[in-house]
Amino acid sequence: MRVRVRLFAAYREIVGRGDVRWTGNAGTTVDALVEDLIRRHPRLAGHRDSMILAVNHEFAPPDAVLRDGDEVAIMPPVSGGRP
Amino acid sequence: MIRIQRGPIDVAAVVDSVRRDDAGAIVLFLGTVRADAGVRALDYEVYRPMALRKLTDLAERAQAKFGVLGMTIVHRLGRVALGRDSVAIACASAHRREAFAAAAWAMDEVKRIVPIWKAEAAGARPKPRR
Repeated sequence: MRVRVRLFAAYREIVGRGDVRWTGNAGTTVDALVEDLIRRHPRLAGHRDSMILAVNHEFAPPDAVLRDGDEVAIMPPVSGGRP
Repeated sequence: MIRIQRGPIDVAAVVDSVRRDDAGAIVLFLGTVRADAGVRALDYEVYRPMALRKLTDLAERAQAKFGVLGMTIVHRLGRVALGRDSVAIACASAHRREAFAAAAWAMDEVKRIVPIWKAEAAGARPKPRR
């Protein structure tokens, strides 16, 4: 199973690219993919609790199951700012 | 109208995009780049397909929630200079109260759920800004 992983802002800088191809077993969850990325890029570990996840352009929980061809996004919290 | 673009926002076109005969009010909100200490510009990074989807969703929800007649949201991508517009929201409604409420709500939603990040362009290296 191959998925496309999109990374943004600080995460993109840590990984060095904003667009990564990732191969894993069918039935893998988003969470397992994130674990694997953290193993490869340990500086992501400190961001783990604030990561926002999406699959195919919709927010997704960590236990979402991935399918071949999915697009996963791993995103820092959006800009915020005071109202 | 929902748009994410690199070039400057044509504010008059944003307003005209929601103008209609059954509206008695149009509210326009502009978010502009503020000159905080050391900031020369802001760089906006956008996850475009998801941002377009979220902006479209929230404009539809604004219509359902507030009964506004039309809503346009335009957001910049890339570098925006001090004092320039980074986001424009226009909404039209029969009466002003709904348009004011919908514009304020929509901007809060943009900040909350639309995947757009800004970084300060202060020196050679942009640094994240919350």
